[in-house]
Amino acid sequence: MIRSHRRFLSLVLAAVALIPCAAPSASPRKARIGVSLLTLTNPFFRDLGDAMKEEGAKCGFEVSVNSGEFDAARQRNQVADFIVQKVGAIVLSPCDSKAIVTAIADANKAGIPVFTVDIAALGSGAKVVSHVATDNLGGGRLAAQALIEALGGKGRVAILDHPEVESVILRTKGFDEELARQKAENGVTMQVVARLPGGATKDKSFKAAEDLLQAHPDLNGIFAINDPSALGAVAALEKAGRLAQVKIVGFDGMPEGKQAIKNGQIYADPIQFPDRIGRTAVQTIRKYLQGDDVEAQILIPTALYRKADADKDSSLKK
Amino acid sequence: MAVVLVFLCAFFSIVTHTEKSAGPADAARQLAERMAGGGTILLVGRGSDEDREFVTGVGAALRKRGLEVVGEVVGEPRDAREALERLAREGKKLGFIGATAEAAEWTVLQEAATRFPALGAPRMVIPVGVRWPTFLTRQNLLNVANQIAVVAILAVGMTIVIISGGIDLSVGSLIALSAVGVTVLIRDWAGATAAGAGELFLCSLAGVMACAGIGLVSGGLVALFRVPPFIATLAVMQVASGVAFMIARGGSIYEVPDGFTWLGRGADFLGIPNAVLLMLGLYGGTHFFMTRTVLGRWVYAVGGNATAARLAGLNVPLVLLFAYAFCGAMAGLGGVVQASQLKSGAPTYGAMYELYAIAAVVVGGTSLSGGEGRVFGTLIGALIIAVIQNGMNLTNVESYSQRVVLGLVILGAVLLDMLKKRDWRWLTRLWRADPGRL
Repeated sequence: MIRSHRRFLSLVLAAVALIPCAAPSASPRKARIGVSLLTLTNPFFRDLGDAMKEEGAKCGFEVSVNSGEFDAARQRNQVADFIVQKVGAIVLSPCDSKAIVTAIADANKAGIPVFTVDIAALGSGAKVVSHVATDNLGGGRLAAQALIEALGGKGRVAILDHPEVESVILRTKGFDEELARQKAENGVTMQVVARLPGGATKDKSFKAAEDLLQAHPDLNGIFAINDPSALGAVAALEKAGRLAQVKIVGFDGMPEGKQAIKNGQIYADPIQFPDRIGRTAVQTIRKYLQGDDVEAQILIPTALYRKADADKDSSLKK
Repeated sequence: MAVVLVFLCAFFSIVTHTEKSAGPADAARQLAERMAGGGTILLVGRGSDEDREFVTGVGAALRKRGLEVVGEVVGEPRDAREALERLAREGKKLGFIGATAEAAEWTVLQEAATRFPALGAPRMVIPVGVRWPTFLTRQNLLNVANQIAVVAILAVGMTIVIISGGIDLSVGSLIALSAVGVTVLIRDWAGATAAGAGELFLCSLAGVMACAGIGLVSGGLVALFRVPPFIATLAVMQVASGVAFMIARGGSIYEVPDGFTWLGRGADFLGIPNAVLLMLGLYGGTHFFMTRTVLGRWVYAVGGNATAARLAGLNVPLVLLFAYAFCGAMAGLGGVVQASQLKSGAPTYGAMYELYAIAAVVVGGTSLSGGEGRVFGTLIGALIIAVIQNGMNLTNVESYSQRVVLGLVILGAVLLDMLKKRDWRWLTRLWRADPGRL
């Protein structure tokens, strides 16, 4: 048994040694880009990854897209494997903004530039060349404009919040700033009467919205910080039979959210453009490899998506 | 199983065969040959130690041969652009750009001739090195071992529980609990980033002991209350995960000193990561325990037939209590290593790790019905999983396909093992088509 193992091993080693050597060539390789996203089960990141592959092919890069699937250790392993492959650049959306810092430091040491998309890395001791993400502050402003437009500048509104996340803090900050500005300049009287945590999920937001309707029977509008929260609020309003009286503004532009806008359940969404984030990230890498200076942070603006846009959208059901 | 591991290694070695950068001496010789007709050269490498050695080594060797090196760049594409601009400003002519294979990917170098016409038409030269599999580099093999260390440490505990005839589903959650518990202790008790080595050790020990205690509870449920192991540890898994989220309040804890990463990221002995040394030590120790001590042999006896073991006078509850407590302690240790590798603790760590650990044990030839199995078999099982994952990352297989391949390879490895153990004649029996026996 042992002898046959040994013979097998020597055969294998011989095979490895005998692989034909290519003639010495001095032509440079295509730059390879290693990508590890938060997850590939969410359409946002799928679109982002697909756009990076597409744009990479145009720029002559070899892009391989992986995901950590919310597991910080798995993502760290993926980065380690990118380093061994000596890729030209690494793009990450961290599963854990703090735990990723050690992996980025390893890449820095190997002379590999690191870029982040959508989610930033937090912490010292690691260098990220550029961060490409949605302009959440501007998106929050748009959300306030949409709600003011829906309610004619009057009424009582609530926010379904999730202040544990940096991007959401920026969204509500933008919302508050825009509302304050409109109050001062345009005589808007709309006021925020409540902020409840909706957990950024459908089920928690459903419960929070039900509580909201009990506490504020005269509510006119809700700003939900993402589409799942908005859809949770829709469910609560439908149950209470008050969907017609309360206008909802969401955030994101996920397919399910867009469908709800088409059905008139959500008034409007500031939508994000994951494909633009992905393309911009690849273009930034190209600029970097050309030796040009790149900005440390690049924000992709959102745009308001209303029923009129949804009616023209061919990707939605009738 | 070792055959499968060797086959996988050979396969990935062949697939990842690529050209490596030449060493400084060899590269200098190649460059000098190209520069025989005269001209100047700019040397470029990325900001790694390896590239720095290359650029300075080649630069010195070329100067010694009396060739004109007008610049050495180690860093980013921007540094290369600045060097090229400087040369153009000074009115220098550039004949060659000598680059490492990685720096040659920079478009700034590829387009140097068109972007900086004042330099003449510099030609890029990439010294050719030997071809060698990326998989078989020292750094990658250490990577493989380091990446599987946590799962392998879990699996050694799991091996004992499975040999004893049980199963422990709580180990993934215990990783999270241990990682969170230890980092919270460091933050709130040991003085956060100012904690000393002794305090770090005590905090880690507390984490391991707490998990051993929880393992003892699982063992008690199984041994004394006769709760089926699957159910008992499923409940403990939920509780441990919930407690981890409560302690961490949902977020991650990162206020730990740099010294905390010694276990997970340090490599003091021959460049082998400390986590890998710990893993090897644990396997050696457990192997000795299972084959050479009375309690170890009892575990086999209890797993083979608990009733017979009890009638033979063995203390069956003691054996089970020990097995689950040991498994819990290993999970706690795995959590400490994980937290150290990531320099933070979060309640999301270790999700699904119990399944990887069970897979490693089963692929390693241990029977799920208990009573048989070898500790080093589990190590090989864990390495098979690690090699598949690493190999697929190196060959750019996408995430979805990775899971399919991993599942199929685990299945294939187990089937192969079953076939090897069984008499091959069952196949010929099939041919005879005796319906009564099938």
